[in-house]
Amino acid sequence: MNNFLLSTLIFLPIAGSVMVLFLPITYRDSFKWISLIISIINLLNIFSIYNLFNRHITEYQFVEQHEWIRMSLGNLGVLSIDYLLGLDGINMPMILLSGIVLLIGSISSFTIEHRPKAYHSLYLLLSGSIIGCFAALDFFLFFLFFEFMLLPMYFLIGIWGGERREYAAIKFFIYTLVGSILILVVMIGLAMSVQDTFFSQEMGGIVHTFDFRQLADFKNYIPNSLLHPLQKQEIFGISARFFAFILLIIGFGIKLPSVPFHTWLPDAHVEAPTPVSVVLAGILLKVGAYGFIRIAYGFFPDVAYQFTYIVAGAGVISIIYGAFNALAQEDLKKMIAYSSISHMGFVLLGLASMTVEGVNGAIYQMFGHGILSAMLFLVAGVIYDRTHNRLIENFRGLSSVMPLFTLAVTIAFFGALGLPTLPGFMGEFFTIMGGFQSKVLPDWVSMIAMIGIVLSAGYFLWTLQKMFFGTFWANRNQEANLKDLDLREITMLYSLAALAIIFGVFPSLIFDISGESVKLFLERF
Amino acid sequence: MLEKLLHILFSSRVLLPDILFGVAFLVIVATITFSKKINTERSYILINVLIISALISVGFLFYALFGFYQQYFESGSTLFGELIYLDSKSLFFKILITISAVAVLIHLWVVGYKVVGEFYAIFVALVWGLFIMTMTTNWLMLYVSLEMVSICSYILVVFNKGKTNSEAGIKYLLFGATSSAVMLYGISLLYGMTGTLNFVGQEFAAFLGQNPSWIANIAIFMAIGGLLFKLSAVPFHAWTPDVYEATPTPIVAFLSIAPKVAVLLVLIRLFGSLSIDFRMMTAIVILASITIGNLSALWQTNTKRMLGYSTIAHGGFMLVGLLATNTIGVQSAIFYITTYLFITLAAFLLIDFLALKTESYELESLRGLGQENIFLGLAAVIIMVALVGLPPTVGFTGKLLVFTALWEAYQTSHSNLLLIVLLFGLLNTAISIFYYLKIPFYMIFKEPKIGVRFFHVGLLRKAFLLFFLFLIIYLFLKPSDLMSLIGHL
Repeated sequence: MNNFLLSTLIFLPIAGSVMVLFLPITYRDSFKWISLIISIINLLNIFSIYNLFNRHITEYQFVEQHEWIRMSLGNLGVLSIDYLLGLDGINMPMILLSGIVLLIGSISSFTIEHRPKAYHSLYLLLSGSIIGCFAALDFFLFFLFFEFMLLPMYFLIGIWGGERREYAAIKFFIYTLVGSILILVVMIGLAMSVQDTFFSQEMGGIVHTFDFRQLADFKNYIPNSLLHPLQKQEIFGISARFFAFILLIIGFGIKLPSVPFHTWLPDAHVEAPTPVSVVLAGILLKVGAYGFIRIAYGFFPDVAYQFTYIVAGAGVISIIYGAFNALAQEDLKKMIAYSSISHMGFVLLGLASMTVEGVNGAIYQMFGHGILSAMLFLVAGVIYDRTHNRLIENFRGLSSVMPLFTLAVTIAFFGALGLPTLPGFMGEFFTIMGGFQSKVLPDWVSMIAMIGIVLSAGYFLWTLQKMFFGTFWANRNQEANLKDLDLREITMLYSLAALAIIFGVFPSLIFDISGESVKLFLERF
Repeated sequence: MLEKLLHILFSSRVLLPDILFGVAFLVIVATITFSKKINTERSYILINVLIISALISVGFLFYALFGFYQQYFESGSTLFGELIYLDSKSLFFKILITISAVAVLIHLWVVGYKVVGEFYAIFVALVWGLFIMTMTTNWLMLYVSLEMVSICSYILVVFNKGKTNSEAGIKYLLFGATSSAVMLYGISLLYGMTGTLNFVGQEFAAFLGQNPSWIANIAIFMAIGGLLFKLSAVPFHAWTPDVYEATPTPIVAFLSIAPKVAVLLVLIRLFGSLSIDFRMMTAIVILASITIGNLSALWQTNTKRMLGYSTIAHGGFMLVGLLATNTIGVQSAIFYITTYLFITLAAFLLIDFLALKTESYELESLRGLGQENIFLGLAAVIIMVALVGLPPTVGFTGKLLVFTALWEAYQTSHSNLLLIVLLFGLLNTAISIFYYLKIPFYMIFKEPKIGVRFFHVGLLRKAFLLFFLFLIIYLFLKPSDLMSLIGHL
């Protein structure tokens, strides 16, 4: 019965996308409802999966496997690509997050008036590919969805974005594409180095596989192949596996984004419309982090061990550099964008620590940041919708006219700066604790990361004080436009706030799921 | 003596389709000469239908012969002494050429180009030349067929007389003649070194290996100059953008794919028998083609010029499979060119459909067309994404396969050169996305100058383009269908 649940999650939005595309334009008011209804159905499905998910086993669950491509490569053997989906403790939270954020994004999309047909069609396509990317257990399928997210995103930013949308869209596309090409190189290399042992024996030849489960197992590496763990062959003076790992770090580092590959993110966020920003910050960045865990660390544990300093260093630099940049921003959305970079740094730090706390914390941080950043970008969207202006200095004393909004902002800001009982705290606390406990990282790395928390308190509280407290005033006579939240905005912001509090108070909702898988994941180091 | 005669008789029987082409050429020429009314509307359609059906039947004839003479094709059979060599690969490539010829004729027809009768005569001769080129393993025959193709192409390019047209034609002619001269010089060097004109034989390999590597390298490089010219690979690429811009689109579509198909097969055969390490030269040509093609395309404002530069880059990608020098490399190169055939035909069809509305090939004129006709907007996205080589299109599968072959070659030879080509070749896709996406970008992002005015392209045209789009997606989902066919060659 559970055999097609994951496929439904992927193909329902895609079918919806096609449906929207072929509906005549006279139904223009119904497009948003279609995407809303599909997002709701998807979220309900995800909740049922979440309930059915067995927390005590480490194997992949809800596995769907269908033969897709069996291509003979002559004397090279057979290239085997499967349609393979499955969940474990690492991607289950991500699926849950996607369901939540995509629903919020589709509610937020109600304000899109310009060419709604194309918009909702692309939005649904994006939804399907995001879930597909998280659920895929075949590298080829993963890569397919990974690339597939780019095009809808490019159009969503490029058509519905702000003033410099075209520049931002193409910058986003080229950056991410460079990253995915590096990943593609490693994908080719892995496929050429790994065989499906069982099928190879059965068929009497080498069967090259893209199956995540096979790639993670050293037994399946073909002797003398380039990426075999014992291979001594060097590429440009470094071992082949190191080389592949570096390519992966850069590839997923662009997506994450980690300093110094982050420069596309502020542009993309500032130009993107609110719902797209929400999805971009809420989920797309997590794809990079997920790739780090599943692919870079999952397939190259031996190398990852030696790269601890570099990964942790990138994380800590992202934390500090992002935070300082956020401090200096005058544009609210840009400030939030840099805070995203800072917070995603914690994921890298937690991962690099290679402790149970650290990795669990990283997964939790991904989830928590997904919820909070969605909230933060909605906040920026609320102000922008009313005044077409986002500069922090243009607003003062908003709390007196927008009390509901102020409450939501306070929850979001305090969540993000790490107030206990809100998800930001748990994520940062666990990743830093992992950093301290780690045998491979010295303590000072985590201490520097803690400065990032102080800085984040600085920029969030400052912004709160500047914009919301004091006597009410807005630049350019926009006072009359600043009304409090309407029902739609209340629904979005307060349901996210409620989720933030629930997951902040009961972090075990996530830790229970990820715990066993992380334990297994760490045994390999 | 009798034996030779029998051999010639047998050979002519096997080459029946090719001989039919010669007859067709003569018939058309005769018809044109004796009929004055060949340029009227009705006879134009008639001759079009006739040629298309002739080509299709030739295609079927190949299949029929393939079954009949299977024993000769499996190992390949040498005909007319050693001048002609026919194997299943030649047949496959001939079918590719037939497909592109038929597609181009349909393209002419659905878009409504008016061409004079002589066009068909030249066109048939061009296809004939290409057919011969797929069967050559002999330098002389290669040169003859190449010149046949070249001369026909020169004429086709200047066919509808215009100022830019003649300029492009002269450029094409000069560059073509020069590279032919270079090629002849290279062939003479090789003949001097090896004493044989057959480039797949034992002798050629044995004697070539005895020469100093750099001399042999230069000689080979010069000898394939004419081929690289047809492939529009650097440094023989300079004619491409001008010719592409000035020539009628269907003819460009044909010239951008059919000669490359034939040339690729010759190169596959030649590279298969080389006894020297020619990888350095190939790698340089590949990297130069991909980089120069992509970087120059960035600045173009005319879609046809842009596609011209893009074919330069794709010429480089086709050679990647040959650089790998293994079976899978050859197979993936064939896969690549087969898929590129569909993609490029679709691309030229698309810009011609757009030009129907705008009567211009400038990017600027595409503003908002995707909003006015959603089908063409979607088609533009799919085709351009395929040209970049991203999933879910077959362009991705092609790139994946050639680079997989290259990785395999690297794994066995550990030559850093191959890895550099791998990385730079793939990273070049990131550059190429910038200009390929300009077409959908202008069509979808930019607002039309004077409001959105919906327009139609017509059912027949739509169906024709849909056919290619279907192939582009279908072969991504089921690449093994094509790959197993190629594997049997």
